[in-house]
Amino acid sequence: MKEPDIGSGSTDTVTRVQPQWPIAVARMLIGLLWLGSLRWKLPPDFDGGSERSLRSWLDLEIEHAAFGPYGRLIESVVVPNFALFAWLLFLAELFAGLSLLLGLFTRAGSVLGMAMSINLGIGLVAVPGEWPWSYVMLAMWHGLFLVLAAGTSISIDNQLRRRALPRPLRHLL
Amino acid sequence: MKRTLLSETDTSSSETDTSSPLASLPRGAARQGSFGLAALRVTLGILVLATWADNLSKDLYTADGLTGLINWLFSPDGNSSSLSAYQSLLESVVVPNAGLFGVLQLIIEFAFGVGLLLGLCTRLCSLLAAGFFVSLFLGYYGGHEWIWTYVLLTVSAIAVYLGYGGRTLGLDHYLAKARGDSPGSLIW
Repeated sequence: MKEPDIGSGSTDTVTRVQPQWPIAVARMLIGLLWLGSLRWKLPPDFDGGSERSLRSWLDLEIEHAAFGPYGRLIESVVVPNFALFAWLLFLAELFAGLSLLLGLFTRAGSVLGMAMSINLGIGLVAVPGEWPWSYVMLAMWHGLFLVLAAGTSISIDNQLRRRALPRPLRHLL
Repeated sequence: MKRTLLSETDTSSSETDTSSPLASLPRGAARQGSFGLAALRVTLGILVLATWADNLSKDLYTADGLTGLINWLFSPDGNSSSLSAYQSLLESVVVPNAGLFGVLQLIIEFAFGVGLLLGLCTRLCSLLAAGFFVSLFLGYYGGHEWIWTYVLLTVSAIAVYLGYGGRTLGLDHYLAKARGDSPGSLIW
């Protein structure tokens, strides 16, 4: 099958292939966003040093909960088991960040990133100074990475696709 | 065939087929964005218009409102933004003409919000939006605000521009069908 024309001008009315790199660049930027956000939740104490710590953010989510059950869940389940949830969050953000930055298991990283974005949005929507649209955009980008198979460009997934991988693993690319 | 991400149109059968119905269309008319980018564009449009309405209700587009915002951005009691060169630019150019800039921002922000929502003149609107978001990034940089918000917004606007985001579920589809590409592909 022939490669499509990419704007040579020879076939004016033909739909040209849109560039894939902008989505890949956006994917890598959002990977950096997740990795950068780790700096104020580093183990073992998950303290942000001079910045607001993970624990103080949880306190804000309880104090300014837009949804009562969510605030109570944080207060009664997450805070009493802070170390466990802090580790889970740290590992989830590390995985999502590396996955999106490298384009490795991109769909899995996208799903995880979308879930974390929605969670952030729900938790922070009523916190003073927070702009809920940030989390809408963040969740939407992860959704785009998922449906656009953002790992097909500038990614390790691209290399993995050429190998014979088990079917369950292929769904994560 | 190379897989397309931003375009959902299969080009395999039409690229050399001069008898294709596409052949009768103006140059560039068949170029399409994707549904994903259309969703991103509509979200951006709603976001811009919602923020515009909120700003309007707070009189932010008046001379006093805009000057107050700029003062707040760089004040230690406000956002504590740190780009002093940008602060200097705003204070020497925008603040003395805050009334004019307020009205311009009121009109331009509303126009590109509507354009993005409807997919009308999307490439021009997304370029304007990207410029606006970059200016917000510079204004808020180094302060208390989460700066990634403005990175996300800028990247979104650029993606809509590069991916012809108004050609799917947008009025640009009809513009392109009737008139082909805009000059330099800069408008739709």
